[in-house]
Amino acid sequence: MYILRLLSAFFKVNVQMMLAYRADTIVNILINLMWLGWELLSLNIIFHNTTNLGGWSLGELIALLGVFRLVNMLVAGLIWPNTEKFNASVRDGSLDYTLLQPVNSLFQVSFSRMVIWRVWDLALGAGLIIIGIRMSGGGATPFNLVSFLFLTVSGAMVIYSLWIVLIAATFWFIKFDNNVTILQALLDSGRYPATIYPGWLRLIVTFVVPIALATTVPLQALRGDLNGWQVLLFLGVSGASFLVASRVWKAGIKKYSGASS
Amino acid sequence: MLHIYRRLWQVNWAEQWQYRANLLMYLLYWLVSPVVYLAVWITVANSQGSVNGLTANDFVTYYLTLLIVVQLTSDITIHLLASKIQDGTLSGDLLRPIHPILTNILVNNIAFKALTFIGLIPIWLILCLLFHPDFSSVTFSSLLLATPAIVLGFTTGFLLGSTLTCLAFWTTRVYAIGEFYTALVILFSGQFVPLQLMPPTIQRLAEFLPFQMFCYVPIEIILNQMPPEVMVRNYAVGVVWLIISMFLFNWVWREGVKRFSAVGA
Repeated sequence: MYILRLLSAFFKVNVQMMLAYRADTIVNILINLMWLGWELLSLNIIFHNTTNLGGWSLGELIALLGVFRLVNMLVAGLIWPNTEKFNASVRDGSLDYTLLQPVNSLFQVSFSRMVIWRVWDLALGAGLIIIGIRMSGGGATPFNLVSFLFLTVSGAMVIYSLWIVLIAATFWFIKFDNNVTILQALLDSGRYPATIYPGWLRLIVTFVVPIALATTVPLQALRGDLNGWQVLLFLGVSGASFLVASRVWKAGIKKYSGASS
Repeated sequence: MLHIYRRLWQVNWAEQWQYRANLLMYLLYWLVSPVVYLAVWITVANSQGSVNGLTANDFVTYYLTLLIVVQLTSDITIHLLASKIQDGTLSGDLLRPIHPILTNILVNNIAFKALTFIGLIPIWLILCLLFHPDFSSVTFSSLLLATPAIVLGFTTGFLLGSTLTCLAFWTTRVYAIGEFYTALVILFSGQFVPLQLMPPTIQRLAEFLPFQMFCYVPIEIILNQMPPEVMVRNYAVGVVWLIISMFLFNWVWREGVKRFSAVGA
């Protein structure tokens, strides 16, 4: 309950920040729509020249694009702004005030900044997923649908855990402003199924920067490519990565010595 | 004048070296999309033998050449200049007796290019090992013929990018327009896919736009894929656009500086 009240307080503050720049918000949404148009056009061009992409149909790729939108929302709406704030606060020492408050530090560091207009991506992503599933015949079984939903959430957890480890690294290497660029850089790979990538790239996006766990894997579950054990394995991996990440965070906090005070 | 450029080069080169870690990240960021598209088209080509006459090797050579060509023709003026107009720090540059864009911004662009290029070479060689391209169609004369196209592409891109950034004199912020422009460039330059695979309308439009000089034309010349008469026509279109962009830039700069109110400084 307490956590929910805090979340809604963060939300209100960030809505006020957004309302200060109304024109910006509208322009940003327009640009966002333009890139969506671009993504659909590129799919159109690809499927103008072929009927399937490594076994994936157009509908499945549109649903994948929807999941990619959700991951993108997580990165651009939450991870990116909070990283900027966090990096600045480690450098100038204002992280002290965050740590002094009687709230879980990781929670505060993760949610104090939100780019509110990105909520728009949630609607867009959901729309694309539904359209995509319809287009590919809607042959998904209830088991596939449920494991798709669970794996989408757990994939986002993996990305979030990786982020925690990356920003916690700042405690050991103070000058580490590029900590999340690697995540941002490989994000673009989530638009297409990792199964078509050459082996080395598939390894990178599955194990090093697991974008594929958050985009390709849920879609594979939806297509019925994964059996129950595999779904459980992926859920287990995401739980484990979150546990490891929160351990790393705690160790990092202990290491932190403050910059100004 | 040459002396000024030499000194500016030293300053900008040193400045870029400071941010070499950022440069590597930028390179990585920038490499992902072409490699992903390459993987997409190899998959399509392999599943049906060829796409519109293009084999898997054609795609590999196209995208690997693209990595080098786009690095050479790309322009980062908006990142260097927009903030200066926005916060008014351009005032200091205007006091100097040299054109700020055609000296400092231009040299900064080139220094950035040179340094990222040094970083790109080892990564490019690794990608060659991974994708096994067959570059047998490339000859010394094709490289020679493509060099003016690359210079033309960079010059036009630089002038158009500067013109666009100068719109900040009127609008203060130009990043939204910049993003729209980037989308146009990706669409019409051949950066997403070789232009012959685009819908016919886009192909026709691209022939009359300056953007194919940034990417498609130099690549096709290097790979010896462009018939001489098409090449001549593309060069002609490119030169016309160079002249247009020179006039555009001159005009926007002259009118813009008159309006410049040095907000914030």
